[in-house]
Amino acid sequence: MIYPSPALSRRFFPLLCVATGALAFLAGCKPKTGDVGTTGGKSRTTIQNKGSDTMVNVAQVWAEEYKKLQPHVDVEVSGGGSGVGIAALTKGTIDLANSSRDMKAEEKAQAKKNTGKEPKEFVVGFDALAVYVHKDNPLTEITNEQLADIFAEGGKITKWSDLGVKLPGGQDPIVRISRQSSSGTYEFFREHVLNKKDFKLGSRDMNGSKEVVELVASTVSAIGYSGLGYNEPGKVRMLRVSPKAGQPAIEPSVATTLNRQYPIARSLLVYTLGEPAGETKLYIDWILSDAGQKVVEKSGYVPLRASAGKP
Amino acid sequence: MSPATAQSRFAETPAVRRKLRQEAIAKWIFCGMAAAMVVPLVLIVGYLVVRAAPSLNLEFLLEVPKRGMTEGGIWPAFVGTLYLVFLSLAVSAPIGILAAVYLNEYAGDNWFNRVINLAVINLAGVPSIVHALFGLGAFVYAARFGYSIISASLTLAIMTLPVIIASTRESLASVPRTFREACWNVGATRWQTIRSVVLPNSISGILTGVILQVSRAAGETAPVMFTGVVFFKAVERGDLFPYYLDEQCMALSMHLYTISTQVPGVKESIPFATAVVLLGLVVIVNATAISLRVYLRSRKKW
Repeated sequence: MIYPSPALSRRFFPLLCVATGALAFLAGCKPKTGDVGTTGGKSRTTIQNKGSDTMVNVAQVWAEEYKKLQPHVDVEVSGGGSGVGIAALTKGTIDLANSSRDMKAEEKAQAKKNTGKEPKEFVVGFDALAVYVHKDNPLTEITNEQLADIFAEGGKITKWSDLGVKLPGGQDPIVRISRQSSSGTYEFFREHVLNKKDFKLGSRDMNGSKEVVELVASTVSAIGYSGLGYNEPGKVRMLRVSPKAGQPAIEPSVATTLNRQYPIARSLLVYTLGEPAGETKLYIDWILSDAGQKVVEKSGYVPLRASAGKP
Repeated sequence: MSPATAQSRFAETPAVRRKLRQEAIAKWIFCGMAAAMVVPLVLIVGYLVVRAAPSLNLEFLLEVPKRGMTEGGIWPAFVGTLYLVFLSLAVSAPIGILAAVYLNEYAGDNWFNRVINLAVINLAGVPSIVHALFGLGAFVYAARFGYSIISASLTLAIMTLPVIIASTRESLASVPRTFREACWNVGATRWQTIRSVVLPNSISGILTGVILQVSRAAGETAPVMFTGVVFFKAVERGDLFPYYLDEQCMALSMHLYTISTQVPGVKESIPFATAVVLLGLVVIVNATAISLRVYLRSRKKW
């Protein structure tokens, strides 16, 4: 026989059709059955959350923790950058946009035009850096330019005497304490203080915000930067920072971070379209609650309230 | 003819020795190149498995990511990849096979069919990132599916479609024309011929072509990242049906990318173990395709 019998082919073709159809059908049914099994009565809700890469790790832990409390709410987290999140929000395809910058006026107008709703902003935490020195260091304030001269490549300041400071032990060279290059803090400092120039070689690069403060506390001639929340009063001091020589130096605090006076800080923001409602509102309320703020703190950022008590 | 002359005629001359030496050298060079191709594969797989070893167990597959994705397993990403692959092939396989049957069995050589051919060939050459943008525009925004498994699967389906058409056409074309002619000569229509002669004889090649697209759909990151795959989504451990089709999901390729680049403090073996699972999925699927082909081939009688 040259080709397979008609019986064989008759068996084959319907089989192919049935298999394909069954596959499509099964695929279509799958989630429904899962739904019944997992939600236990409450209707299942999905919150789409997209945006800032700085915040994506915080947002991920929020989603992970919230699932334990509210199993019927699925939070979908994706990154891409603040701009990506805002763009998706203005098109109305997501519920929450994470952003580490303010939404521009034209982006708000765009959102209003596309969806008819005004974006609403929630401050969910802060990313503020304090400049730390040893408690015995007499220096009290510093300008942004001086910081750049100390930390950036080609900067002229290498000794404390360059700043007109005489340390009690008599040591003069500045010990620069920085962060490892994969750190978001490193990147933020590089962008906002060094104007995107590279760091000078020879700094001590610590692997955590806490370690920076600890090393400063044990080294008289050190200067380092770390999150506002890592201050250890009595061991280290935070310098007041002025945005420009001649302008008043600003004390780092939640108040000055909030009113945007303190130069090395930014707010972590979440935007919704219009006034949030239903599960989205509950989720934002939870983020702003102590439980949600604890996640912010654990992720190395400044929470809304825990830092309020600190200087 | 003296015995001495006969002997010298068949004795090795310097020219013969040179020829044999060159033959040996050529053989070893070709063999070396063939072996060199295997070396990177062995090195890659070996390196991955060794680095992944501390995390490679069933628990890793079934567990969900924990503590900011620095610990735990990859279940949501694994299931997400299965969803995307099944759905995209459920869409692209029937369309692709039927289109290929038309192009190979019915279509004559006219301008309309040449345009279709040209479209198929060009579609196969489009980079995946372009498919991603197309999917974003067409399915997420224009068709209003939003960021969802449907959008991502359809984008993958469009991406795999031209290759399925091409491989199906190839296996249809490998069925000898004499088979069809014999069938037509007893009065069968084209459809009867396709059903009873062409498809049964080419089914192994068609299925292989479709199954091989599983590895492509599972490995792509860009198209799904733009259209329906997320950084993180909380699901329950071992839940086989954690996603609605209008929701987004996680996927292995994207998960590997994010834990390698974005998440600080991930346990060192986890990215490697994720790569091993992705690789293992592809190897299993390809092995299935090959054994299916061998089995179906064995039933052919020519």
